[in-house]
Amino acid sequence: MSKKTGTQPALHKVIMVGSGGVGKSALTLQFMYDEFIEDYEPTKADSYRKKVVLDGEEVQIDILDTAGQEDYAAIRDNYFRSGEGFLCVFSITEEESFQATQEFREQILRVKNGDNIPFLLVGNKGDLYDKRKISIAEAQARAQQWNVHYVETSAKTRENVDKVFYDLMREIRSRKIDDTKVSNGHGKEKSKIKRLKCCIL
Amino acid sequence: MGPLPIVTGISPKEGPPGTRVIIRGEYLGKEPNDVTGLLICGCDCLLSAEWKSSNKIIARSGPGKGRGDIIISTKSGGKGSCTVQFRGYHETIGPLKESAVWVEEAPLPGLSWGSRSLSHSTYHLEDPLGLSVEENEKKFPEDDLHEMFPEGSGDLGSENFEPNWFLLEHHHATSFDDLKVGLSYLKRKVDGQKEGQLSFLKDNVSSVMEQMDTLFLLKDKFEEDMKKHNTDTTTKIEKAINGANKLFEDVLSRRETADATRHALAVMTRYKFLFFLPVNIEHNIKHGDFDLIMSDYARARNLFGKFETPIFKQILADVAATINNLKISLHSKLKDMPTTLDQQKKIIRNLIILGFEGDPGWDAINSTYKYIKDQLILNREDHIAAESIQLDAEAGNIHYLGKQKSENNIQYEKHKKISNSNILLDTQNNTPPRIAFLEDIIEFILETFPEFWKLGQAYFNGELQIKPDKMKQNEFKQYVVNAVKLCCTLIRSAILPQNSDTELQWPHYSSSKQSNIIEIILLWLPHCIRLVQSLHSSLTNLEIPNESVEITSKLLLDLRIHSMIIELKKTADQVKGLSNKENWQLDYDSEYGAITQLPSEFEKLVSQAIQKIKESILETKRKEIPVLTNPTAKQELTVLINKIFLNFVQTLEVLGMISEDHDHAIAVSQLIGSPTPYSENDSSELTWEQRLLAMLSNCRYTRIIIYPKLSVQFHHQGFPSIDEPIRQCSGALSILEKRMIETYVELKSDPLVGTIEPSMYLGHFEWDTCLKPIDLRPYAKEILTNITAVYADVHRLVPKLLYRIISEIVETVAEELSRLMSCVTKFNSYGKVQARIDVMGLQRVLHQFMNENASCFFNEALEAVLPIDEYESNIIEEILNNFLKKMSLQLSCFIAVCPTKE
Ligand SMILES: Nc1nc2c(ncn2[C@@H]2O[C@H](COP(=O)(O)OP(=O)(O)OP(=O)(O)O)[C@@H](O)[C@H]2O)c(=O)[nH]1
Ligand SMILES: [Mg+2]
Repeated sequence: MSKKTGTQPALHKVIMVGSGGVGKSALTLQFMYDEFIEDYEPTKADSYRKKVVLDGEEVQIDILDTAGQEDYAAIRDNYFRSGEGFLCVFSITEEESFQATQEFREQILRVKNGDNIPFLLVGNKGDLYDKRKISIAEAQARAQQWNVHYVETSAKTRENVDKVFYDLMREIRSRKIDDTKVSNGHGKEKSKIKRLKCCIL
Repeated sequence: MGPLPIVTGISPKEGPPGTRVIIRGEYLGKEPNDVTGLLICGCDCLLSAEWKSSNKIIARSGPGKGRGDIIISTKSGGKGSCTVQFRGYHETIGPLKESAVWVEEAPLPGLSWGSRSLSHSTYHLEDPLGLSVEENEKKFPEDDLHEMFPEGSGDLGSENFEPNWFLLEHHHATSFDDLKVGLSYLKRKVDGQKEGQLSFLKDNVSSVMEQMDTLFLLKDKFEEDMKKHNTDTTTKIEKAINGANKLFEDVLSRRETADATRHALAVMTRYKFLFFLPVNIEHNIKHGDFDLIMSDYARARNLFGKFETPIFKQILADVAATINNLKISLHSKLKDMPTTLDQQKKIIRNLIILGFEGDPGWDAINSTYKYIKDQLILNREDHIAAESIQLDAEAGNIHYLGKQKSENNIQYEKHKKISNSNILLDTQNNTPPRIAFLEDIIEFILETFPEFWKLGQAYFNGELQIKPDKMKQNEFKQYVVNAVKLCCTLIRSAILPQNSDTELQWPHYSSSKQSNIIEIILLWLPHCIRLVQSLHSSLTNLEIPNESVEITSKLLLDLRIHSMIIELKKTADQVKGLSNKENWQLDYDSEYGAITQLPSEFEKLVSQAIQKIKESILETKRKEIPVLTNPTAKQELTVLINKIFLNFVQTLEVLGMISEDHDHAIAVSQLIGSPTPYSENDSSELTWEQRLLAMLSNCRYTRIIIYPKLSVQFHHQGFPSIDEPIRQCSGALSILEKRMIETYVELKSDPLVGTIEPSMYLGHFEWDTCLKPIDLRPYAKEILTNITAVYADVHRLVPKLLYRIISEIVETVAEELSRLMSCVTKFNSYGKVQARIDVMGLQRVLHQFMNENASCFFNEALEAVLPIDEYESNIIEEILNNFLKKMSLQLSCFIAVCPTKE
């Protein structure tokens, strides 16, 4: 219904990726509804969308919360294609989840075909510092290598939750502005090339 | 009207009909009844809706297909909107896809009905445009199609067939010209169909004719059969149908079983995790991987806990039961002893991981405590049993025990043989049961107690991941104290039976056995002290409550005092026994005269004793009560030292005063004719008067030399002062000395004095018939000779007492002389001169050894003789001078030596 009303505010599509249980859903729900879910219920694919004010401008954020569980890995490719920005989440208390970010990053780059994708590396469960397995330095090193930012969050205490979403939206927005500039020039050709490559994949 | 409901979140965003979805948003109703409508993809799902809060509703999606809105209506707000959408899809389930439902494996209808291909069925096989199908890789993404045509479908047979979809799906890379060709092809086909029945018949005329022929043939055959068999064919056909049905029934039932198996298999794989859970847990239990068990269990509960399916519930219950059993078995394992601290900690940690309710830490403490207690008691019983076996065996062999090994070699050999079969027997070489008991329990305590204490520490410091019950700290302390107390009490009752007053006494045996046991224990006391000391120091190092350390240090103190007393008593006995060891080897000391080995033997014994006490008994360590500051110990020490000293005084007395041959009377007089008594004594065989003198000098030597020496030694070794015993015993010694002197003087002077009178009147001598005097009379010379003999002895044995003894003897002699002189009824003139010569000669010779009494007696003796004139006195003087000159050699001892007057 809302779709049909007049001029739509800009829509930024965010995708949550990361291993199972790292707190993607927890971050999303905290951001969306200020609630924290203690129980773990593996996600398949959840969709959220709401209006937010980004630097004075009303925009819509669309969050696709994907499955971390391996069982659902097959359906990821499709989802990633539609994303404009990615929050790549791991849990600072779990070594494997940090290792997995590498694979997620590669998969995203493959699907999105490029490395200038709005992307944030997020270390969640910062409130469990006494169970920390991944040092800040270690995570930051990886972020630097990817040329992205690293932020530590806690879905439980809401620390940095807004920050990661807003930071990512800003990156998406500036990326879009860059894109329109480019498309004024050789826009058509570029999109054609892109489509072709896509098809080959 | 309130705000409109708005749905902003959906989880999951797609799924087949019946998917459980969580709908999130705002103003989704104030209460469950406020919600009046819920549409998902146009399907009313209100019935399945479960209102959680105004932000959250849980529902199940309906049969709607494709992407669609989620619209919630409330009484308070009205019909709302949404920012997210749900996509319903029908899962296409093929033979290769896992599924919980039966998959129809029969070929799709239309593909093989009829041998002749009817035109519409070919749509599925070949392209309706007559174009070649593109390679699969270039396929247009299906997702985008869904997005573009939410309501549409690419299925040619579908109601909402969307041609654009179809074209994009199958021909999006086909050139426009090709498409045009396709279109004309399609048109041709449609036109062909439009021509109607006739053209259809025309197309198929040959087969129509064929069919006609067959039908006629059939009719003829049938009529022929009717005629031939004249039976109703319908019954046969019915039979056949029944038979066929039966056949199919079998097939159908088989299909059903297959169905069920397939279903079960599908469920199995889908919920593999859950079904393997019990096995996995079993496996992990074996490997002790409790973390994994718990996380698996929690995961299973999370994933399947909400299902109502009985099989899931059953499995979860089974798993819960297994875990419960595990908890119980672990908990009972906690009580298995002996164990190690690490083991206990591990079990406790696992119990915590498994979510054990209760306090496994405290349980571990409790069971360890109980174990320690029980083991101590058990150990005691074992050794009591061993002791009684040993005693019985000894009773059977009592003959041996009564004798010394060396005395009876055959018995010894025999005993050796027996002892091979029963090691306990040989008390000489093997540790006696009580000592073995001590060793065992101390070793046991040293092994278990530190772990017990550390367990407690770990528990109360929260190292066990349990919240410790601080209230129990006191109880634990009591446990510690009790354990130490029990251990100490047991030690006491085993080796200090006279000192313990508990019911834990070792059995009392008949007195001879008992004293035998006690004697053996005494031999082992220093060993015991060392053992207890090691116990004490290890407990001290643990920093356990002072109360417990005090118990051990008290025990140690008692043990030390006890063995000190034993040691001192032994010394006292040995000192007493010295009297049997005296060998009368004389040693001449310029100061003290002749002394025997006795005083130095005594000194040796005492200093050995204190050395030993110092080394093996008083050596104390940290947190021990120093023995000598203990008043009881001090008092005991003083008393026993006193006893030792007094024993020595007694020994001296026994040796000096009691003459075994009292009847051996000294030959009274040389003049009477017996041989000289002294010559029969060679140096090794002393007369008992000589022994008396030797003991006398021993006394003096002890008093003056040994006592101060010992006093210094005690002081050096850190013992309390022994001045008091020394003072007492010096007094006793002085008295003894005095008595000895008296005895000696009496002994010597009695026979000497006794000989004077008979010698004086020897040969019917009478003072009134005396002849002209020319020299001292023989009796006077005899007196001098006798005194000289005594002098020689005393001078040799106790030179310091020379004056004292000789002067006393001289006194008695003088007294006797004065008595004899005063008894003379009549002197003739020669007699009176002779008497004076005798008396004065003695007076002159003995003047150095004359005390006041003696000179009085001499004067009295002279007075008893009639007075003399000058002439006579000249004669006397001449004779005396002559005598002194003549006898100067013999008398030199009286004159030359000037003994000190003591
Ligand atoms: N203490 C703490 N717990 C968190 C935090 N974030 C998430 N959790 C918990 O971690 C568990 C998993 O969180 P989810 O958000 O469901 O994990 P997910 O990444 O969405 O997992 P998938 O959906 O399977 O990919 C839940 O029990 C949360 O309560 C956090 O910041 N701090
Ligand atoms: Mg999730």
